[in-house]
Amino acid sequence: MSILSIRDLKVDYATQEGTVQAVDGVSLDVDEGQQLGLIGESGCGKTTLLKAIVQVLPRNGRITAGKIMFNGIDMLQLSKTEMRQLRWREIATIPQASMDSLNPVQRVGSQLMKLLRVRGGYDKRAARRRAADLFDLVGLDTERLMHYPHEFSGGMKQRAVIAMALALEPSLLIADEPVTALDVIVQHQILEVLRELEQELNLTVMLITHDISVVAQVCDSVAVMYAGRIVEQAAAEPFFHAPAHPYSLGLQQAFPNLARPRDELVSIEGYPPDLREPPSGCRFAERCPFVQDSCHDIDPRLELVGDNRLAACLRSGEMETLRSQAEDPALWQQVEVAQEPILPPPKSPSITTRGDLGAPPLATASVETPPSPSQWGGVDDDILLEMRDVSKRFKIGGGLAGLLRGDHEQTVYAVNNISFTLRRGESLGLAGESGCGKSTTGKLLVKLLDASDGEILFDGADLAHLEQDDLLNFRRRSQLMFQNPFEALNPRFTLYRSLTEPLIIHGWKDEQQRLGRVIETLDRVNLRPAEVFLDKYPHQLSGGQLQRVVLARALVLHPDFLVADEPVSMLDVSVRAGILNTTRRLARELGLATVYISHDLSLLQYTCDRIAIMYLGEIVEIGPSSGVINNPQHPYTQALIAAVPVPDPTIENPPLRIQEGIPRPTEQFIGCPFAQRCPDVMEACLDIRPPAITDEYSHMAQCHLYGDHRDSPKLKRGAEVTSGNTR
Amino acid sequence: MQQEAMVRDDPPGKTTAQFRQGSALRQLWETNLEVFQRDKMALFGLCIFAVFALVALLAPILAPNDPLTPLKNANGDWIKDALPYWLAEPGEDEAEGYTNEFLLGTTNIGRDIFSQLIHGSRSALLVGFSAAAAVAVIGTVVGLLAGYYGGWVDTVLMRAADVAFGIPFIPFIIVIAAFFDPSIWNVVLAMAVLLWRDTGRVIRSQVLVIKEQAFVSAARVSGASNLRIIFVYIAPSILPLSFLYGSFAIAWAILTEASVSFLGFSDPNTISWGFMLQDAFLSLALTRGAFYWIIPPGLCIMLTVMAGFFIGRGYEEVLFPRLRRM
Repeated sequence: MSILSIRDLKVDYATQEGTVQAVDGVSLDVDEGQQLGLIGESGCGKTTLLKAIVQVLPRNGRITAGKIMFNGIDMLQLSKTEMRQLRWREIATIPQASMDSLNPVQRVGSQLMKLLRVRGGYDKRAARRRAADLFDLVGLDTERLMHYPHEFSGGMKQRAVIAMALALEPSLLIADEPVTALDVIVQHQILEVLRELEQELNLTVMLITHDISVVAQVCDSVAVMYAGRIVEQAAAEPFFHAPAHPYSLGLQQAFPNLARPRDELVSIEGYPPDLREPPSGCRFAERCPFVQDSCHDIDPRLELVGDNRLAACLRSGEMETLRSQAEDPALWQQVEVAQEPILPPPKSPSITTRGDLGAPPLATASVETPPSPSQWGGVDDDILLEMRDVSKRFKIGGGLAGLLRGDHEQTVYAVNNISFTLRRGESLGLAGESGCGKSTTGKLLVKLLDASDGEILFDGADLAHLEQDDLLNFRRRSQLMFQNPFEALNPRFTLYRSLTEPLIIHGWKDEQQRLGRVIETLDRVNLRPAEVFLDKYPHQLSGGQLQRVVLARALVLHPDFLVADEPVSMLDVSVRAGILNTTRRLARELGLATVYISHDLSLLQYTCDRIAIMYLGEIVEIGPSSGVINNPQHPYTQALIAAVPVPDPTIENPPLRIQEGIPRPTEQFIGCPFAQRCPDVMEACLDIRPPAITDEYSHMAQCHLYGDHRDSPKLKRGAEVTSGNTR
Repeated sequence: MQQEAMVRDDPPGKTTAQFRQGSALRQLWETNLEVFQRDKMALFGLCIFAVFALVALLAPILAPNDPLTPLKNANGDWIKDALPYWLAEPGEDEAEGYTNEFLLGTTNIGRDIFSQLIHGSRSALLVGFSAAAAVAVIGTVVGLLAGYYGGWVDTVLMRAADVAFGIPFIPFIIVIAAFFDPSIWNVVLAMAVLLWRDTGRVIRSQVLVIKEQAFVSAARVSGASNLRIIFVYIAPSILPLSFLYGSFAIAWAILTEASVSFLGFSDPNTISWGFMLQDAFLSLALTRGAFYWIIPPGLCIMLTVMAGFFIGRGYEEVLFPRLRRM
């Protein structure tokens, strides 16, 4: 029997620019014990739907039509008081970023008990017992009840929030992006908790997410939303093996997948339609590679297309053939060409050969010509960048104020003795949990920070000693791409101004030449026609477009080296692939050496020749991407890879062998820094530094398992490991 | 992460060519324009300033008499304590030997109050604007340097600000007045020496926020020098804030000048509204009920101070729209 049944629900938002039909005729059933995953890109109405169900729409939101039945009760007819009774007790929600909503000045346990007593009618003792049971249920130590939120890690907070949601035994749990913004390992553990709870309590769950692999891991059925409508609904397995709507096909192909690496990801070009005036035909038609004339006129209805499967597509009959065609990214690219106006002839030659790179306009030749490698005193022509035993330490809590407060000065070892080389045109990925020092490494590479120890050689010259012209020349040759495109551009500058700034700084005096270069670069990053974008301000562009502008700014000087720090983590799934493809293509075309920094291993496998895994400021494993991913040596790498959710419900992730919780980077280790969390820890790991073992494919892992101490006695994880190996 | 369906349109009436030239300064101008377009109170404040500025400029023409010279009647006696013509009994003045043409009467030593009032606007605006400029400029520069460079620059400047916070303001001016000759410039000097502290602190905190933003790192990565980053990237964002503090400083300076004059530490040869109040107070105008001597300078002080705060509020509304809801 269905617990929740939504019929033809319509939700409006009144905005200054007109009425937005955020949810437009959604019908959905959630059965008892079912776990439904609701997916779609941002702005498609997922969260609005959730808010409409529990009736917490913002003030300008209005349910204009439809019915929401919950256990046979018409929820839209309920009074405010009755609705309040229903929330939490019957329908529990975990809103987005809810782990930050714990009250920081109250113990987590008292917050939970207060909820139980006020809303659940428990007495004090029963509440305490129930709270302990709940913590147990979500895998938290019951001692933690006495702790404050700041003493919890991100994963623990998320567990506590889940415990709170389940406190009153709701019959339906709605979770909005419950694992977004969590580290892979934590994410894996939260998903595991959810999976266990589903089985133990026979929970009915509605899970809202943009990440289809999360759905594959915890849901048994899927609904896909696009532009305020459900376009496909099916059980999980058939959905993942054979999607029945072109949009689902695109979403699936847009995700890098560790288990099935692809040559090129599909990028769904274009943007969702304007919901103030939705198109009269199929809403996906503009972006669909299989569009035919009738699609623009006929609005497809959600219809049965097979066993218990619903899809809204005019061509659902031909899905078999379309599916095989959809594998080809080129097909999806065609859409873009068809959609965009015809290109004006480029004002300057847009194809540059390798030799031309960095070749300046004549007027500024003296400023711009890079010295040949021999002038730089380069050792090996092939090697562009070399890190030699580089460390970076930060001091915190010192100074006069610290002294008065009685804080001791502490040293944070952000990066410890890392060494690697990067060849021209090569791409290297840096991966690891947050706090592992990968972003600091990125900043060291472009000299936003200076190393505390060691040398960073760029073309043979040590970055620490660059002065004046050499420094300016280095600045021209190395660039950085930022995580958050909404912050990376000066909001007061037009795009032209932002893009021309680097040229002005590097002495391009002629306005016409600058304009030519800017247009050429915008064209390269697929912002066409470039002229349209010149006079826009950043707030007028979408995230995907902005990230392309950020890429263009990085490339406008024709650099040799690019650091991309989480280039797509703030972006929507459908545009991610586009940015990645463009970056990768341009890096190849321009012979750019690239360092990608990401927590997402599948993304790195897709973009990088080599991958380095960092842990507590050290590189614990580095090697060719395929080697690191398919044949991980270090136990940490193995854990990271095991934690990546796979967008395939038939592949269940292996249980994780490590726990969350990186030790504080203020400690220095005598032995292996990973010993505290390592499932294979041995005696030698505690007090002997692990050796760097390299195989014939230059695949290096820093671990005792493969060194002289491989026969050292194994240790049980526990007290002996957690104490004693810090300096 | 709002997805916009398409690139939004340009605001109407602005052509492409204008935008391309669009410099930070132009944006600043637009912000200023926005302040006065949106907030009618700010516009009102601006009008008050404009009127007073005009009066100050044309003071020698507008004032019927010299403000410092005691006036004498036909017999050669001083015209002391003359009532305004609209208060005087008919024939009374003629008996005293003069025709009453005094809009606000005369002082106890026979100076024309109306002329004093008009000339008072000169010192008020002079003190107001020069002190405001000094406070805004010093505070902005200090804030920019301390916030951007951090480290010992920050420590030195901010400890200096702490010292400035620790010095009581009015006594400080009295001490200055004791060292130098009494003059309205003492107030300007004291404000320049002490009052940059608030502006400096606020701007520093703003700079700390802006300099951590990715676009500043981006500028550094593309090779921009420190000065370029400060003046091209950071300064335009905080200049409206300097204007805000500047407009408050105008009001504050005029108020301070009035207080200091009232306490008797001003130059007896420069007419200011505060001086007029003190003069009236000492000659017991209040007990005699000479409201026409006391109220007009008081009203002028109030109007200019209000104008400064109205403009300041206008900037606040544009800069911190969240305040509006509180």
